[in-house]
Amino acid sequence: MEREPQLEQLRTALRRATDEGSVVAVAGEAGAGKSALVRAATADQPWSRVARGLCDPLDTPRPLGPVRDVLSELGTAPGQDSVALAALGERLLSAAADEPTTVVIEDAQWIDEASVDVLRFVARRIELVPLVLVITYREGEIGPRHSLRPLLGDLARLDSAATIHLAGLSVDAIRGLLQGTPLDAVTVWALTAGNPFFVTEIARHPAERLPTSVRDAVLAGTSAVDADDLEVLQLLATAPDGVDDRLFPHLGVDVPQLRRLEGTGLLRRSRRGVVYRHELARLAVEGAIPAGVAASLHARVLEALERLGSSDPAVLAHHAHASGDEGRTLRYADRAALDAALAGSHREAVSFLELAAASTSDPQDRAALLERLSFQLYMVSRLPEALAVIIEASRLWEEVGDQDGLSAAHNRRALIEYYLARRAEAQCHVEAAVAHASSPTHGSARAMQMFLAYRRNALREARSSGAVVRAIASERRDEELRLRADIVGAAADLVDGSADARERLLDLSAEAASRGFDETASTGWSQLAAIDVEQRRLRDAERLLDRSLPFTVERDIPICNQWQTGVRSRLQLERGRWEAALEDARSVLDGGAPIASLWPHLVSALVPLRRGDAPDDGVQDHLERAWRLAQEIDEPLALLAVTTALAERAWLLGSGDPRLEVAATLVRDAGSVPGVQWASGQLALWLGRLGLDPGAVGVAEPARLQLDGRTDEAAEHWRALGAPYERALAALDSLDDGTAVAALADLETMGAWATAQRGRDVLRARGLAKVPARRRVTTVANPAGLTSRQLDVARLVAEGLTNSELAQRLYISTRTADHHVSAVLAKLGLATRRDVVRQAADLGLV
Amino acid sequence: MKRFMIERVFPGASELTTEQLAEISRTSNAAVDSLGVPYTWVTSFVAGDKIYCLHEADDAETVREHARRGGFPCTLVAEVAAEFGAHTATEHERQRAGATT
Repeated sequence: MEREPQLEQLRTALRRATDEGSVVAVAGEAGAGKSALVRAATADQPWSRVARGLCDPLDTPRPLGPVRDVLSELGTAPGQDSVALAALGERLLSAAADEPTTVVIEDAQWIDEASVDVLRFVARRIELVPLVLVITYREGEIGPRHSLRPLLGDLARLDSAATIHLAGLSVDAIRGLLQGTPLDAVTVWALTAGNPFFVTEIARHPAERLPTSVRDAVLAGTSAVDADDLEVLQLLATAPDGVDDRLFPHLGVDVPQLRRLEGTGLLRRSRRGVVYRHELARLAVEGAIPAGVAASLHARVLEALERLGSSDPAVLAHHAHASGDEGRTLRYADRAALDAALAGSHREAVSFLELAAASTSDPQDRAALLERLSFQLYMVSRLPEALAVIIEASRLWEEVGDQDGLSAAHNRRALIEYYLARRAEAQCHVEAAVAHASSPTHGSARAMQMFLAYRRNALREARSSGAVVRAIASERRDEELRLRADIVGAAADLVDGSADARERLLDLSAEAASRGFDETASTGWSQLAAIDVEQRRLRDAERLLDRSLPFTVERDIPICNQWQTGVRSRLQLERGRWEAALEDARSVLDGGAPIASLWPHLVSALVPLRRGDAPDDGVQDHLERAWRLAQEIDEPLALLAVTTALAERAWLLGSGDPRLEVAATLVRDAGSVPGVQWASGQLALWLGRLGLDPGAVGVAEPARLQLDGRTDEAAEHWRALGAPYERALAALDSLDDGTAVAALADLETMGAWATAQRGRDVLRARGLAKVPARRRVTTVANPAGLTSRQLDVARLVAEGLTNSELAQRLYISTRTADHHVSAVLAKLGLATRRDVVRQAADLGLV
Repeated sequence: MKRFMIERVFPGASELTTEQLAEISRTSNAAVDSLGVPYTWVTSFVAGDKIYCLHEADDAETVREHARRGGFPCTLVAEVAAEFGAHTATEHERQRAGATT
């Protein structure tokens, strides 16, 4: 049926599985023949065994449904308690390691979030196993916020992934399908736009009057069915996931009736029982159920499922809701939400909790559900909604006078407000939460209070809260609470300059991870990464993020992922890797939490300013947003960073900024705050370049040297830290003319054209006779233009790894590694990988 | 009706308690009752990790339908072509003798 090229493409992927795994996505509208194509390609072929996972059009999909299907078909079914998504991915990969395997995920437009995470894990490593992952989905039903979107994004970047698009059939193909009927192919083509399902249905019932919709075409097949049989067809249509054969005794469907129904051609058998041959057919029949009847049909299915002892709360909730039974909807949706949260399917947990909360009018029940809902909304980074929901929970608890509930709500709200970058509100709610000392959430509220104090460098206050938290933790034998206090405590010590605190923070975070406290562990690494960059341990930060960022993906902690990506964005900026910095910044600013957005905004402003990109409103807009965020966050480090960026902009553009008037005060005040010596040093340097005397005290070493006029020592210090931009700026101030002029070339080499141009003015003003003109292009190797992935590759090449070692490390095929290495060499303008190793230090790759 | 021998792979089958066997029996009876066609469960044997059942039905597909409705595994379904035992030899002798006289 005109699908030969697509069929061949799919079969080629299967045939080649032994050499190299791959992903094939099959996209097309409903009825385009996606399943038929996959069936044709996978049936009767000698190359690989096939395992299928189905996604169901339930209102809210069951978490990990398709993944569990596949694993059980491969004979490695996970227990209900196996929740680490990465572990499920590993299991799938190792199941396929020894035998060529094709995994088909059908109807991924209905997939759940946790399954997507597992598939992303698998897709990134697929080239190394003889596994073909085939994913079918309906094009046009995948919006920008759809669960499947991240996976499709990955596929677009993977070399080992391809997408097959199924278009409508041509008139010729339709003519073939209509053979033996009196129907006219052109008329049918005009009516169906070549949709294969629609055409096939018409061909099956070639009535004199053509049906005008898919629904009419399907229903034509039911016209000969009697009332009893039609009712059973409708009963089956209420169950999108199919009807388990074991339900038939309870539903009163006997064998002769089932045979008659199978005779309509609308049904087929699957591993799950009896299902509609096509979802469009099910929808047509379901849509024709008379109003008022649907609820009773759902009630019958629900009762049958209960009598059978069904343990799938997602399916039970679907039928309970549709039958209008609020009590059962509440019970099942609540259970389904717990399952979903445990599986890491936070979006689904949100849907089930919304359903459960809508099914009860009891204020206590509702408030408790809303509190859980707000946490799940926070986990998926839907912060404004999380806020609205916790406010509603608070109101309900207020109404019934539940003090414990109110404290829990205040505590939760403090967290959400903080991630929304609204410190004043967060502070006010954490204090309200802490006030009620007998609440079960008191320890958690104290820990939040400690965290907020630490974040604004109020270290003494953080430590005294920490002592209280530890006492509560030991009294309640709450190990996670104890670790949270110890982790924030170690972070506070590190901010304060304690030498051994870094090692302690690493140990504590590792301990939290080994005990399964994923979020606490991740928070430890998030804070350490930020402190490392702030205190310019740039290489340590790099090594840490290499390990901690994958952890946030594998354990599904998007909030920490955004934070750490924001930190890495700043790290790349300090390292002079502009493209990689912008890439990370963009990814955080695309819907990321406000608290994680400060540095991404600064990076998005500073990189174009330094490079002298064509002026647009973007830079100004990013700086404005960063400024407002810093005011709201109201933390010394945030305020100093934004003011420093404003000062740099003023210097680069030669323009003033009224907000800089208070900058000198900011620097002087910073003298009494612990842990801000790097940030205040940076601001002092820029104010100095603007001709203002900040009168800085207690700033970090390189800034101190530079302010004291020991610019060459300062430059050497920056070089040792791996901060090339700062090094060049220090060298620009060198008393040695040659060094100062060389700094211009260095800035140009790294692509900071605008900074170099401004430096030229400075050198001329200093009276230097021979300031070289701007170069046209730079021919010197520089990593400023490498993307994040290319940087990863470049760093491994610099370590001396071969392409196949590098492929192992990055979970890609050697072929893909070759490809990346060539791209890196081309961008660096180097001929061989040995050149990379030789120049690794100069390139800032080691 | 025809007779069918059914092999069901059932790990740990020989360890099933009387109570568990009664539960399986209840489920099976309900499945038989729901079929709406003639069907008889004659008997079953538990042996090692398998259960062997003797059922009467019009066709093998109905036997499979019964298994699906009961949620039982159904590894093999074979129509019984003949039944014989120690007595078959003597019966056969007697028949031949009867035929020659």
